[in-house]
Amino acid sequence: MHIMEGGLSWQWCLVWWVVALPCLIYGVYQLKKVLAADREALPLLGVTGGFIFILSSLKLPSVTGSCSHPTGTGLSTISFGPWITAVVCAIVLLFQSLFLAHGGLSVLGANIVSMGIAGPVAGYALFRLLRTTSLNVYLSVFLVTALADMFTYITTSLELALAYPAETGGSISSFIMFLGVFALTQIPLAIVEGIVLALVFKYIIALKPDILIRLHIFSEEKIMAARSNI
Amino acid sequence: MKFRYTLEILAVIAIVVFIAAFLYTSSTMRGAEFAGSDTVGSGLIAELSNTSEENFQPLIPQWEPPSGEIESCLFALQAAIGGILVGGVFGYWIGQKKKP
Repeated sequence: MHIMEGGLSWQWCLVWWVVALPCLIYGVYQLKKVLAADREALPLLGVTGGFIFILSSLKLPSVTGSCSHPTGTGLSTISFGPWITAVVCAIVLLFQSLFLAHGGLSVLGANIVSMGIAGPVAGYALFRLLRTTSLNVYLSVFLVTALADMFTYITTSLELALAYPAETGGSISSFIMFLGVFALTQIPLAIVEGIVLALVFKYIIALKPDILIRLHIFSEEKIMAARSNI
Repeated sequence: MKFRYTLEILAVIAIVVFIAAFLYTSSTMRGAEFAGSDTVGSGLIAELSNTSEENFQPLIPQWEPPSGEIESCLFALQAAIGGILVGGVFGYWIGQKKKP
């Protein structure tokens, strides 16, 4: 879930906008470069971006008795890295703040940082790490997706905790309180999202393995192993 | 022949467990309203800052969907855009594969 409009003071809004803007600009630059180099990257961007649109519109109930959104950023993070993912997320979040009163224009920066930057950066770091190991493709997709989802909500908690320190214990204790609300609700959603996106990745591999190899997302051996295994 | 649908089965199991967990919580947990976690979060913000929730006014004036129906319509629209993208591209790829 996003921080609501008015949920942060203008100073904090500004801070997160300052963090978000350079990432977005770099994302747009990278996007242009990737698309200019390989037109076949565009359909892949469509699929991975499409899942961000779909999954972030679903409000799912969780075991804590409240609802939350999955983020759907995992596939895009793996395929294009965090900066391009930030651009796609910014589009979704802008749509939601303009038409759905979910989030808002002033807190858009903070929401882009949590959903579009922090989550994907954490996921991408894990992805780069896993790529050097022999772990199979689907397990990597699962772990990266689940981490990107979880880390988004950990960041949201952090953003709110910094803005609203508790009277006793300061930001650290309010961070734990916000984690109790956001992160706990998110755990089952992150797991299901990870499995579903791993399944989607199977279909991408089945239909278009060459683009994954050309964009150096996974090595040829891993893709071939994934095709023959499951 | 190797078994080829491990991931599909896993996904179905995950979704079934997820639904079962939801049904269990909704029938046993008292006061489970299934409000958005941002609503719960806003309550916590109000508590931490010692102000009532009504005091939080949007910094930038914002259009709000007049009713829950309109909101869910717009959410469905967002999902539909995503669905068109995903379906369109998968279709395009399947078409490409058929060509020699």
